[in-house]
Amino acid sequence: MSRFSAIRMVGVGFSVSLITLGLMAPVESTAQKKANQKGSAQKSQSAIQTSKATQPNFDSDVKAVIEKYCVSCHSDSMPPGGVALKKGLSAGDIQKNSGTWQRIAKNVAMKHMPPEGSPAPSQDQRIKFVNWIDGALVQDCKLADPGRVTLRRLNREEYNNTVRDLLGVTIRPADDFPSDDVGYGFDNIGDVLSMSPLLMEKYLAASDKVMKDAIRASRSKTTQIDGSLLKITGSANAREGWLEMFSVATGTAKFTVKSPGWYKIRVIAGEQHAGPEFAKMDLKVNQDKVTEFDIKAPFAKPEAYEYRLKLTPGEWNIGGTFTNDYYADKKDRNMAIFSISLSGPLEDNPIRTEFQKTYIPTIPPKEQWESEARKQLNSFADRAYRRPITKEELDRLMNVFSFGARSGEGYEKAFQVACQAVLCNPNFLYRVELDSANIKSRTLTPYETASRLSYFLWSSTPDQTLLDLAKNGELSKPEIVAAQVQRMLEDPKSDALVQNFGLQWLQLRKLPYFEPDKKMFPEYSADLVDDMIQETSLYIKNILRENRPISEFIDSKYTFLNENMAKHYGIAGIAGTDFRKVSTVGTGRGGVLTQAAILTVTSNPTRTSPTKRGRWVLEQILGSPPPPPPPGVGDLQDEKKFTASMTLRQRLEEHRKNPSCATCHSRMDAIGFGFENFDTVGKWRVQDAGTKVDSSATLPGGRKFTGAVELKSILLENKKEFARNFAEKLLTFALGRGIYESDKCFIDEIVKKASASDYKFHSIVQGVVASEPFRKRTLEGTNP
Amino acid sequence: MSQNQIDRRTLLKGLGTLMALPMLEAMRPLAYASGSGAISAVPTRMAFLFVPNGIDIPNWTPSAAGELSLTPILEPLRGLEKDFSIMTGLAQNNASALGDGPGDHARSTAAWLTGVHAKKTSGADIRNGISVDQVAAQSIGNKTRFASLEIGCERGGMAGDCDSGYSCAYSSNISWRSESSPVPKEVNPRLVFERLFGTGGKEAEESQAKRELFNKSILDFVLEDATNLKARLGRRDQMKMEEYFSAVRDIEKRLISFENTARLQAAAGLGKPAGIPSDFGEHIRLMGDMMILAFQADLTRVCTFMFANDGSNRSYAQIGVSDGHHDISHHGRQEDKLAKKKKIDTYHTTQLAYILNRMKSIKEGDGTMLDHTLLVYGAGISDGDRHNHNNLPILLAGRGGGLKSGQHFMFPENTPLNNLFVTMLDKVGVNVEKLGDSNGKLQGIF
Repeated sequence: MSRFSAIRMVGVGFSVSLITLGLMAPVESTAQKKANQKGSAQKSQSAIQTSKATQPNFDSDVKAVIEKYCVSCHSDSMPPGGVALKKGLSAGDIQKNSGTWQRIAKNVAMKHMPPEGSPAPSQDQRIKFVNWIDGALVQDCKLADPGRVTLRRLNREEYNNTVRDLLGVTIRPADDFPSDDVGYGFDNIGDVLSMSPLLMEKYLAASDKVMKDAIRASRSKTTQIDGSLLKITGSANAREGWLEMFSVATGTAKFTVKSPGWYKIRVIAGEQHAGPEFAKMDLKVNQDKVTEFDIKAPFAKPEAYEYRLKLTPGEWNIGGTFTNDYYADKKDRNMAIFSISLSGPLEDNPIRTEFQKTYIPTIPPKEQWESEARKQLNSFADRAYRRPITKEELDRLMNVFSFGARSGEGYEKAFQVACQAVLCNPNFLYRVELDSANIKSRTLTPYETASRLSYFLWSSTPDQTLLDLAKNGELSKPEIVAAQVQRMLEDPKSDALVQNFGLQWLQLRKLPYFEPDKKMFPEYSADLVDDMIQETSLYIKNILRENRPISEFIDSKYTFLNENMAKHYGIAGIAGTDFRKVSTVGTGRGGVLTQAAILTVTSNPTRTSPTKRGRWVLEQILGSPPPPPPPGVGDLQDEKKFTASMTLRQRLEEHRKNPSCATCHSRMDAIGFGFENFDTVGKWRVQDAGTKVDSSATLPGGRKFTGAVELKSILLENKKEFARNFAEKLLTFALGRGIYESDKCFIDEIVKKASASDYKFHSIVQGVVASEPFRKRTLEGTNP
Repeated sequence: MSQNQIDRRTLLKGLGTLMALPMLEAMRPLAYASGSGAISAVPTRMAFLFVPNGIDIPNWTPSAAGELSLTPILEPLRGLEKDFSIMTGLAQNNASALGDGPGDHARSTAAWLTGVHAKKTSGADIRNGISVDQVAAQSIGNKTRFASLEIGCERGGMAGDCDSGYSCAYSSNISWRSESSPVPKEVNPRLVFERLFGTGGKEAEESQAKRELFNKSILDFVLEDATNLKARLGRRDQMKMEEYFSAVRDIEKRLISFENTARLQAAAGLGKPAGIPSDFGEHIRLMGDMMILAFQADLTRVCTFMFANDGSNRSYAQIGVSDGHHDISHHGRQEDKLAKKKKIDTYHTTQLAYILNRMKSIKEGDGTMLDHTLLVYGAGISDGDRHNHNNLPILLAGRGGGLKSGQHFMFPENTPLNNLFVTMLDKVGVNVEKLGDSNGKLQGIF
C-alpha cells in the first residue's frame, strides 16, 4: 500500500486507552458483569491493566486469533471492508501492511470486530492481540518519511488575506470564487485544490479588480494646449511650440470641462525684458480678467503661472493677455506663451494608497519608465512570489510592462498590468516547493519555511520580517523559528487560525446552512447564527491568545456572550451587543461541547440527534469516527416495532437491538444522550414534549453518567487522547495533506513534548512547526 | 437566511417569463450568425440535471413499458408527456461499494456522468474518470464561447469529510475534465450572468477591448513562467500544473472569439439577477433560466446542473417538510418519511417542468429549443434508503438528435447508464467507442 493512500491513522496505543475511557465494551466475565452492574467500572479497568503486562506472542496471540475468528469472512473474493486475511500469516506480513493492520487492531480493540453475534476472542485475547501489533508497528522516527505535500493553490481565504497583506486592499475578491473542495476536513489540502477555467477567469478578473483598488488612478485630467495652437487676437505670431507676443495681444485656448469642481490653470510664459517693469499678463476666463501676473521669467527659461478656480461643465476660453508693451532705445519688451493647461477636477485626486506610495513614489519621466518599473516590479514580485524573482523572470515580466506602456495609457496603467501578470502567475497562485532528482528528502529552504509558517498561522503571505529572516538565513535556526511562531501567534493576523482551523475542525462552516423548523424555533435567525459562531470563535481565540491548555475546549468555567446569546442561554444581567467573558459556573455549560453552535450543527431540523452529537464527539474530539451505517439499514425488521408514542430514546434503544447497529450506536448514542438537556438550537431544557429529559446513559464499558458535566469529566480523564487527535488535526491543517501511517511517531513526539505543559495550545503549535513533516519534504524526482 | 425576499419577477424584468421571449428572440440571430456569417443549423445541446438522495422509485416509475403514463412524481410534467421519456433498468455499477465500504453519496455523484469507480480518498490522489459532458465539451466546445457551463444550487462541501472517507470533490461535482480535475460549479445566478455576458455598463464596454488585449499579454507571460516552473516540480505537482495550463489555454481561446459578446451583453444588459434568491425553488428556476439563456445565445451547448449535492440535508419548509432531505431519504419504509420524500421529489419535478416549459416556449428553427436539446434528469442513487445504484431514476427530455419521446423504455437490469451517454454523444456528433463502463449503445430510443 503506497503511503499516499493515507489511511486515517489512529495509534494502537490509543485504542487501548479507549478501553480505559470506557468507550469500548470489554468482554466481561460473569463476575465482572455483576460488579459492573453495581456501578463500578474500576475492577474491569484494573483487570485490563494487569493483562496488559503479559508478553504477547505472535503465533498464539495473533495468528491463532486471526485464523479462528477472522478468516471465515475475510477470505472471500470481495472481503468485507477490503481487508483480506488468510491462514498461515507471518509476522512480516504485518509490518508490510502496517496501515491495514493498524485498522485491524483498532477495530478489534474497539470491539467493532468480530461483529456482534459472531464468535469472538476474550477480552484478554483482544488485549494481547492489540499489544503485539502495537509493538510490531513501532517506528523509528529518525527513519520515518517526512512526507510530501502536493503543490498548493491559494484557497479563497488565503487569496483574500494575501492580496490584503500584499497590496493593502480590503476588498475580498475571492468571496465570489467557486468554493474550494474539502479533504481531510479542511479546505487547504493540496491534492484536492484544483484549477479550472472558471477559476482562472476569476483570478484574471480579480487581479484587475484588486490592482485598480491598489493603484487609484485619478479621474482628474490635465489638458495642455501648445502656445502655437492658441487663438490669437492682437499682435502676435505663432512660432514652433510657442506664441510670440510683440505688442498687446491675447492667446486663448478652449477647454471642455466635464465634471464640476476646482481646476488649476497653468500658463507657461516668459518675457523679453525691457524698461522699468516686467511684462504683465492678464489671465482671462471667458474674456473676464481673473488675475494679473508679472512675468519675471526670461524667454529662455519660461516658468509656470498658476491660478485655481471653480468651473462648471461646459466650454471655457482661457487666455493670457500681454498688457504692457514697451519699446524705447531699441529696447523691446515682449512676452511669450509656451502653453496653457487646465487640470482638474482637483478634489477628485484620491489619497494615494500605501501601494502607490511604496511602488510608485512618483511618476517617473518617460525616459526612466523602464528602469524605475524594473526596480519596483522586482521588489513587488519578490514579495508576491514569496522568494526573490530571478533575472529571467523579471525580463519576461518587463515585456508585459512594455506592452502596457505602448498602449498610451500612462505609467500607472502599465505598472498595473505588470502587477496583474504577477497575480496570475503560478508562482503567486501556488505555494511552490521545488523538487530535484537524486535525493530522497530535503530540509525546506528558509523562504519555503516562511511560507509554511505564514499560511499555517495567518492563512496569508509572509510579512517583511519573515522574508528578511529568510534572506539572511536565520529562518533555518529552530530557535529563531520558535520565536517567530510566538510573534505570529500574538499578531492579530492569527485570527485566521481561529477561523480556518478552529471553525473547520469544529465543523461550524456548515452552521449557516442549517435550517431548523421555523415553527418550532421561531427565535432562530441569521443574527443568532452569527452570535453563536462569534461565541465559539472568541472562545477559541481566547485559548490561542492566552495560551490555555487545550483541555479547555472540553470544559472550562467561562465563555463569551452578548445579550442575545445570554438570553438564549437563560443567563441574566448581560446587556448590549458586545461580547464579554462570562462565568458559566452553575449553568451546565463550559467548553465547546455545550456551546450552541456545536449543539445546533449536530441536530436535525426538528429534533436533537444524540447519534449525531455522539458521532461528533467521537470524530472531532476523540478522533475515532464510527463507520457510517451500512446500506439497507432501513430494511431492519425491528423498525416496524416503532410506534408513534415511542420516545426518541426508546426508538434508539429499539434500533440498538439489531446487532449490526449496536456496535457503533451504543457508543454514539450514549455520548449524545449526555447532551439531551440542550435542545435542537442549544437552549437548556428540562422537559421535551411534556416528558422530563433523561440525560443519563451507560457507556459501553459499563460506566454510568448523568448529563454533560459528568460526561465531560469522563472525557477529561484522558487528556492525552484528545491531545493526540488535536495534534493530528492541526498537523493536517498545517501541512495541507492527509496524515500517513508514517506520521504516527511524529505525532507521538508532538504530544509527548506538549504533555510537559499540560497540553497548552502554543506547545502543540510549536510541536507541529518543529516536526519533521513541517520542516522537510520528501522528493520524487522531476521526470514525468 | 436573509429576510429579503427577492422578487424574481422584478429581477428578471426583461428576462423574466413574460418579457423574456421577445428579447431572447431578438438575440437569436446573434447566436447563429457566428463564424462564416451564414445562418447555420440550430445546434443540439446536452444538459444533465442532477437531484440528490435518490427518488421514491414506486411513485416515479410508470407501470408498464411503452407509451408513457404519468406517476405521482411525474404529475407536474403534465402537458409535457410527449416531450420526455422515462428509462428504467439503467445502472451505475461503479457507484457501488465494490469492496470500498460506505460512501455511496460521494461515490454515486462521482460516477453519475463518468461510469467510473472513484478512488476512495479523503484528499490525496483523487481519481475518477472524465464525464460525458466534458467529453462533449472537449469535442464540440470549441464552437462556442464556453465549452461547457457548470451550475448548481449548493456550494461545494463546507466542512468535514464529505462522505465516509471520500473527499468533498466527489460529492459536489458531477462534471470532471480529467480523472483528477473536477469542474466546479457556479451557484450564484448573478455570477453566472456576469460570466456569460460581462459585468455590463457603458464604461465596461468601452474598455473591454483594451482589457482583453492586456489579458492576452498577461496570459502569454504566465504560460511562459508556468512552463519554466513545471520542469522543476515533482511528478505529482506537474499534474497540478497541467490543470493550470489547460485552464489558461481555455481562456486564451475564449479571448480570441470575443467580438460577439459586446452585442450580446447589450442585448441582455437589462436583466441581471441580484443574487441567490432565498426561496430554493426560485433559485432552481433562476439557474434554469441562466442555462436556457446560455443555450439561446449559443454561448455553450453543454451544461450540468446540480439541484443540490448528494447527501444534502436541506429542509423544504416551503412545502411543509421541515426535516432534512437526507434524513428523510433514509425512510426505513416508514409511511410518514416516504410521504415527505415523495413531496420533495415532486417539488423537484415541478421545477423541472418550469425549465422544460421554458425551453418549449422558445422557437428555434422549425421547432423549439426543447426539440434541439437532449436533457437528462435524474439521480445517482435509486432508493435513498438502500443506496442502490441499479434501476436509477432517469428521465430524458427533448427531441435533440431525433429522440423518441413520450415513452417508458425498460432496459435489461444493470444496463450501464453510460450506454445512454455514448448513444447521446453520437447524436451530437461525438463518436466515442467507450466511456467508463459502457458496453454498447441503447437501441430503439432514437
